[in-house]
Order: sequence, then structure tokens, then C-alpha cells
Amino acid sequence: MSDLAVAALLAGTILVASMISVEVGFSVALIELAAGFIVGNAFSLSIPGWLAFIGSFAGVVLTFLAGAEVDVPQFRREWRASIAIGLVSFSAPFVVVGLLAYYGLGWNHRQAEIAGIALSTTSLAVVYAVLVESGLNQTIIGKRIMSATFVTDLGTVTALTVLFVKPTIWILPFVVVSVALIVGLPKLAVPFFARYGNRVIEPEIKLVFASLFLLMWLGGRANSQAVLPAFILGLVMSQHYVQHRTEQERMRVVAFAFLTPFFFLKGGMNVSASALWGNLGILALLFLWKMLPKLAGVYPLARRYCAPHAAFTTLLMSTGLTFGTISSLYGLNAGIINRTQFSLLVAVVVLSAIVPTAIAQRFFQPHAERELVNDQRAVAPMPPAAAAAGRSTDGVEVV
Amino acid sequence: MPFERILVAIDGSDCSNRAYGTALELAALMSAKLTALAIEGPLPAYAATIGEVDEVKREKDEFFTGLATPACRQAADAGLEIDVEVRPGHPADLISRVATEGSYDLVVLGHRGHFVRDHLLGSTADRVAEHAPCPVMIVR
Repeated sequence: MSDLAVAALLAGTILVASMISVEVGFSVALIELAAGFIVGNAFSLSIPGWLAFIGSFAGVVLTFLAGAEVDVPQFRREWRASIAIGLVSFSAPFVVVGLLAYYGLGWNHRQAEIAGIALSTTSLAVVYAVLVESGLNQTIIGKRIMSATFVTDLGTVTALTVLFVKPTIWILPFVVVSVALIVGLPKLAVPFFARYGNRVIEPEIKLVFASLFLLMWLGGRANSQAVLPAFILGLVMSQHYVQHRTEQERMRVVAFAFLTPFFFLKGGMNVSASALWGNLGILALLFLWKMLPKLAGVYPLARRYCAPHAAFTTLLMSTGLTFGTISSLYGLNAGIINRTQFSLLVAVVVLSAIVPTAIAQRFFQPHAERELVNDQRAVAPMPPAAAAAGRSTDGVEVV
Repeated sequence: MPFERILVAIDGSDCSNRAYGTALELAALMSAKLTALAIEGPLPAYAATIGEVDEVKREKDEFFTGLATPACRQAADAGLEIDVEVRPGHPADLISRVATEGSYDLVVLGHRGHFVRDHLLGSTADRVAEHAPCPVMIVR
């Protein structure tokens, strides 16, 4: 099939996927992954060069957007609980899946590391949708879960960048430019956006894209990955986007209309139906290896910081989607994992988006209004007499 | 049986408008307090980006908050004062939950009549009728 024929077929698939997404209420990314799987297997399409290129850039844009969507002030308020839960949520499945893939499945250490990273993620967006839909995003527990998810994601992008680096002399300019962009872009954004922003030609989006392409190029020359600097760049730009919502919306429009559909389609097209069918047992094992350490690692901490909703917190921290797909695609593109391993990892990632979310919502979802009342009680000022005596209402000394 | 607190579900559809009109008549007849519940429905399940969730939520907020103005005007024309609540969530669960929490005496809602979906999954009206803690009036 010619490039144009493939482009036409995929553009039609993207259109149908977005329509199905609206009709059934599932996220468009999940439908695009499924559509890519069907089209790729039905037509036995190989991935053309242009799709691989757009898909790689879209992965970095998705990472930047994920960073830009972090609520930094909220994280500062909840950092203690968030770091504890988030780090365990990342490290427990990373270590367990990595070791079991290495020793149990005979994958080499780089393949095992990709498996560990891909299955250690927590989906910020899946968690966010559950919390917003239930109203729990306004509660302390909801804010704590969101912040912990950010820490897990930071662990993922750090591991993806650091573990696979084979430094060349280009690592120096890569690091210098990354730091310069992370420090400089938020400062440059104010005068640049004031002078060139709010135009249909979108210089502000072009500035971000140019920065991301620069990071990708230097990262490639340094035998490294642009995901960590892209994520942190998004993070330092998040406050700017809070003040300039329209810019963020335009960025999302460009990303969702053209870039991310090709990323998820490409992911789906690389999933082999025969590889999945022939390895259902390994698929089940990988899913268990992701879930069990998440549950065993996060639950005790969730009991401490998110009681009485430890089960709900643990299940949400066990979800995954975007970063799991990004990590798996990185492994495939870099030739670290083969198509069978990629198919298994992406299938587990998709399962982990659906299964723990459905269980959490069906059986463990807290009541938002009740939580808000409890939160207000927890932060309510003590009676004046008790305050004057330097004691809380339950007699505990106030420092 | 006197109804003092009536909950009516609205979503801007023709059947919900008919249900709302019926609820207004009932509330006027019985001097009952009427609350209109605008349910935004679920957000995209298993989203890959916060942006997708945010955009859908914003669109829903605009649409469902916009339902409040004509609902209040229609109530004022009927000589009634109503409360309007806009909430995200799954309609059947939310209507039953709000009815329980607010100790409502009657729930009024429309029936859209999707033949295939109703036979496969059961309609929202069926599920509310099954789970609500009070009488349910389904307006066709």
C-alpha cells in the first residue's frame, strides 16, 4: 500500500474511532488503540516511516502535556503522603515485574527493565476522570491520590531516561539545553506570549514544539530519551497554563486532532493478535505481576495516609495507560523488545486501565459529599477556649 | 398521598422536558418543594489524557448549567421556586442516591425508549424504579 493509501485508511480509522468514542463514552485513546489493533492485523500493515516519526513526536508531546497538567501547589501541600505512596507505587511493580520477567520468562535485562517500567505506571488521566466524575477531586483523599500519581509518573519518565542512556559526548549539550529550557522557557513565555500569542498562526505552540524537537534531537544524539526533560518542561510550564487556559486548550486541540491519534493507532497496529493468542498464560502472569506488588506495596501506605479508603486508593494507583504505552513503544522502537513482548505489555497496560478502575468504582468508591464534610471537620478551627489553653479539643497539646 | 419534596431529573431532552412539566404541575397542586437534578452523565472512561476529561467536563458543565435558566423561568411562570442541582455521574445511581440523601417523597423522570439498549441493559427509568427509596413517576 502506498503512503497516501495508508494515510487515507488511518485518517478514516481515526475519524471512526472518535465517533465511536463519543457514542460509547470510552476515551478516544482506548478506541484508537483498539482500532489500530484491528486495522493493523486485518490489513497486515507495516508501520510507514512517517507514522513512526509522528508517533514518536506525539509520545513526547503527550509527556509534556502530562507534566503541564500537574497541579504543583496541590503537590506541595500533599508531598509527604504523595511521595511515599507514589514511590512505592512505582518501585514495587518495577522491581517485581523486572525480576520475574528476567528470571521467570527469560527476558534479557533490558527487556525486563522495559517490562518493569511499562507496568509500574499509574494513569494520571484514568485516576483524574474517576475523581472528577465522583466529585472526589475536591477532597483531601482525591488530591492526595492525584499527587501520588504524579510521583509515580515522574519515576517512570526518570527510569526511561536514565536506565537506557548510553552516553556519548552529546550528553553534555543535551543536559545543558534541557536545563536551559526548563529554567528559561517559563521566563521567556511571559514576554513571548504577550508579544506573539493569541494569533491563529499560534507562535506559542510552535515555540513549545521547537523546544520538544530540539530535546528529541539532542536526546537521540546522546543515546538518551527526551521524556524526562519534556515532562519537567511541562511541569514548569503548568502554572503558566493555569493562567492562560486558552493556550492550553489550543495546544490540546492540535495534539488531540493530529498527533495523539497516530501515537495510539501506531501502538495498536504493533500489537499482534497471534502473539497475544499464543501467550495468554504469560499475559495473565504479567497482569498479576503488575497488580500484586501494587496492591501489596501501596495498600499499607494507603491505610496510613488515605484511611478509610485504602482499597480505593490502591486500586486507582494500579491503573495505567499512557506512560505504559509510551514506555512499551520506546522499547519496541529502540529494538529492545520484540513485537510479541510489546503486544503482551500493551495488552496488560490496557487491562490495567480497565480492571482496577471498574472494581474501584463498583465496590470501593467513597462518597464525595461525606468526604468533604469529614475534610471540613478535620481542618475546622478549634474552639477559642481550647486554643487559648494551647490544647486541641481532644486534649492533645498543640505545638 | 401528599408529596412534600419532589425530585425531577432533567437533561434537556424532549422526554425530560415533559417530565419536568408534569413535576411542575404536581408541585403546584401539592405545594411541594421541587428540586431539578441535571445529571451530566459519565466522563470518558479510561482516558489517556487529562485534557480529554477536562474538555468533556467543561462542555457538559456549560450545557447542563445552561438548563437551569429556562427551568427556573418555567417554574417562575408556574408560580414556583425551585432548586437546580448540576452533578456529574451515572444517571440511575445518582438519581437514587440524591433521592435517598435528600429524603424526597417522589422522583419524576422521563423515559426515552431506546429499544435495543433498554432490552439489553435496562433503561435508566427501570433502574431508578428498582432502587429509589420512594415512589417513582415515569413520564412517557
